[in-house]
Amino acid sequence: MYRQKYLFLTPGLIALVAIILFPLLFTIRVSFSGWDVYNPGLNWKGGQNFSRLLADSRYWAALGRLSVMAVGTVLIQYVLGFALALLVWRDVIARRFFRVLFLVPMMTTPVIMSVIWRTIFHESLGPLNPIIRGLGLPGVPWLSDPVWAFVAVMLVEIWQWTPFMFLLLLAGLLSLPSEPYLAARIDGAGPVRTFFSVTFPGLAAISVGAIVIRLIEASKILDTVYVMTSGGPGESTETASYYIYIRGLRDFQIGYSAALSIVYLVIMIVALTVIAKLLVRFLVRPAP
Amino acid sequence: MLEIRDLTHAEDGVTHLDHVSARLAPGTLTTILGRTGAGKTSLLRTIAGLLVPDSGEVSLDGKSWSRLPPWKRPTAMVTQQFINYPHLSTLDNVAFPLVRKGARRAAARESARAMLDRVGLSAMVGRRPSELSGGQQQRVAIARALVKQAPVLLLDEPFVNLDYKLREDLREELVDMLRNESGLIVLYASTEPREALSLGDRILLMAEGRLLDDGEPQQVFGAPATIEAARVISDPPINILPLTVGEHVAAGPFGAQDAGDLTRDLAPGEYRLGLRAADLRPGGRHVARVVLSEVSGSETVTHLDLAGFPLVMHEKSVVTHPPGAEIAVDANLARGFIYGADGTLLRREAPHGQD
Amino acid sequence: MTHQPLDPEPRAPVSRTLKLALKYGFILFWSAFVVFPFLWALTTSFKDANGVTNGATWLPWLQYQPSTQGWASLFGGPGGTNIVRPYLNSIWVTLGASAVSITLGTLAAYGLSRFTFRFLFFRNADITFFFISQRIMPPIVLAIPFFLMLRALGLLDSLAGLILVYVALLMPIAVWVMVDFFNSIPRGLDEMAWMDGCDPVTTFFRVILPNAVPGLVVAGMFCVIFGWNDFFFAFTLTFTQTQLLPVSIVALNSSVTPWWALSASALVSIAPLVLLAFVVERFLSKGGLAGAVR
Repeated sequence: MYRQKYLFLTPGLIALVAIILFPLLFTIRVSFSGWDVYNPGLNWKGGQNFSRLLADSRYWAALGRLSVMAVGTVLIQYVLGFALALLVWRDVIARRFFRVLFLVPMMTTPVIMSVIWRTIFHESLGPLNPIIRGLGLPGVPWLSDPVWAFVAVMLVEIWQWTPFMFLLLLAGLLSLPSEPYLAARIDGAGPVRTFFSVTFPGLAAISVGAIVIRLIEASKILDTVYVMTSGGPGESTETASYYIYIRGLRDFQIGYSAALSIVYLVIMIVALTVIAKLLVRFLVRPAP
Repeated sequence: MLEIRDLTHAEDGVTHLDHVSARLAPGTLTTILGRTGAGKTSLLRTIAGLLVPDSGEVSLDGKSWSRLPPWKRPTAMVTQQFINYPHLSTLDNVAFPLVRKGARRAAARESARAMLDRVGLSAMVGRRPSELSGGQQQRVAIARALVKQAPVLLLDEPFVNLDYKLREDLREELVDMLRNESGLIVLYASTEPREALSLGDRILLMAEGRLLDDGEPQQVFGAPATIEAARVISDPPINILPLTVGEHVAAGPFGAQDAGDLTRDLAPGEYRLGLRAADLRPGGRHVARVVLSEVSGSETVTHLDLAGFPLVMHEKSVVTHPPGAEIAVDANLARGFIYGADGTLLRREAPHGQD
Repeated sequence: MTHQPLDPEPRAPVSRTLKLALKYGFILFWSAFVVFPFLWALTTSFKDANGVTNGATWLPWLQYQPSTQGWASLFGGPGGTNIVRPYLNSIWVTLGASAVSITLGTLAAYGLSRFTFRFLFFRNADITFFFISQRIMPPIVLAIPFFLMLRALGLLDSLAGLILVYVALLMPIAVWVMVDFFNSIPRGLDEMAWMDGCDPVTTFFRVILPNAVPGLVVAGMFCVIFGWNDFFFAFTLTFTQTQLLPVSIVALNSSVTPWWALSASALVSIAPLVLLAFVVERFLSKGGLAGAVR
């Protein structure tokens, strides 16, 4: 009786599967081959790539860095985005101007902004160090120091993507019903109490969605690293994506990079599913 | 003739419909009466085609609807929640089903205008549903349901979300409007026994998915077929007392002298007696303790304890019975219903007038 | 009738000013942080070799001599590249891919929201997850396979090829947004349409879609943003015939390239979406996102 339902789902599903399926299957197949510059083509190397992968400390270091960066930036983006959304939610002068302004970074092209940031972080010719020196602190060797380079990349990410959290949380705030707030006032709750008892739970569902989506996107980070630091100095800003890029498109070890990709994919899916479920358990339905 | 045959449906261990069968003639308004969860909505949705039953069949004039999706069935429905198309004006809302059937926009709007006039909303034709009050929104829904001139009209507690006075007014208007439509089969779901009594030509009594009784209001109320039916139709609740017939007749705390003719020639044994709350009155020799007394409108309902038996008394005036007070009560057992061990009606007094 | 205020005793004026100071202080601080790179790029775009190598300066005429070299380079002047063509290419690809993604994605989302599907042990929630999980794959993973696939189809270095690839990337976003949105439209509306004689397809187009505009706007916005701003696929799948904006600008990124050309190109490429920010804010303030965000 409802056979028409297939009309809805199948076009999109087939399109997606068609476009994605081949690459995915291909990558799986390639990961079992030793395709590189010297041996192009699909040969069969069995699990060789995978055993090499397990011993590849650079890969695991890259994954570790990626996790730190992704989780760190997403958390900071969430807190800042929430703060900003609350600040321009109501009772602010030029509210709409600030809202537009705070949205802008998300609309920009990450690569292009990284190009600009690279000029900003330049030790001698960039504008950042003079400001820092002006505050009485020593200049920072931004892109030539492992730790500072990592920080620089995180700063760029935060600049770029906090608006995403800001947008979703502001939209959520604007659609919250006013009754619970009235009840809270009557009960004599102060602003902090009101926030934790009314505002935060009301935005729990959106928060989980936003955090998960942001984590998915953040773990793919490549553009900024590619443009600003090229993974350096050394390997200090090398994320998993960048390492896969090096092995695949620079060293042209296609087979190995395919194996790295597959393992990355599996780890990501598992990790994100677990994180999503945990977040739902603890934010949306908090333990009594 | 709308025929419902043996409809059964269960979901997640809950039985929504339990072998429900009925035959409904055109030109009748049938009330489906039952508590919340009795299966009224499930029944209506099955007839509409929104619910596919596990077994059973619905057919109109011999044609089975089993393979017919909702959009092909000649039914119209008005739900509890006011549902109108938010993106259309009131006029276009009512014209919508006609346009769907192929009418030209102008002609459809003409008919819609006429129908909106009949429901008293001619001033609101240009407004969106979100700009109307609850009562007005429901009138639009009713207008839209009627304009289709579908042979089967389903109403699921349409006025339950409106205030009391509006409910009464709209009910009267609805009955007036339906009087002008001939040949419709109308089904009206309700939880209020009084509404069922005043509305319909016929009552289908439901509980837990089962059809308890099926007949004219006089009969359903005057002689409830089972104890369960009696419970459902009674508002205030009916008193059910254990009845022993033997050397003596004892109905709960009451004795033979109260029973009168009702138990004459009744075989000895255990029965149950159903006594309406209105058939208990103050005065007489039995002394009961007041547990709770509430005034509702111009009537008083009092919950009593008489020698350990909980009783409900209904007086058609406003009185005060403070909790804990002791008052004398009397029972007019002759007006009771006698039920056998299996719960079916055995005997009642000869009907004379309605309660 | 006046009401007694529900506040406890009024807060001390000092702490009130402090709170305001913190509030606006933070807002201004963040605003400065947001604006900082743009201002710098703007200033730099008007510099020449001297302006750049003499250290970081901000004010034209006072601290350096402005020049229009940077802006001239946009049209093929020295040190730059003509970005008109890539600009247009980006527009075509983004709009094309977004349109297709939203169409297919919204249809799929409606199906997932209203009907039950079962394929082996996969159910609606799994299918939705399948759509969304496409975003987990980092571009590099797909880059080589897409390269080979497009080459086999003869679509390398072409607009059509890019649109094809982008559809796979953007459809999950459309599905994510629209499934949520459709779930917030009560089923009673669909059922009412059915009762009025609409089959599911008619219901979708005549009843649900007109009420789905806020969701479509949000989905459209995200598709356009992610599409316009992609770098990696454009980078690996195009070369000379077709160039998208981000690629043509990053190509300028080497230590030799004049900063002024870089800055000018960057500013110009970002402009369209900045305008989008205005549109989004208006929509947001009108309560447009209320139904679109769960």
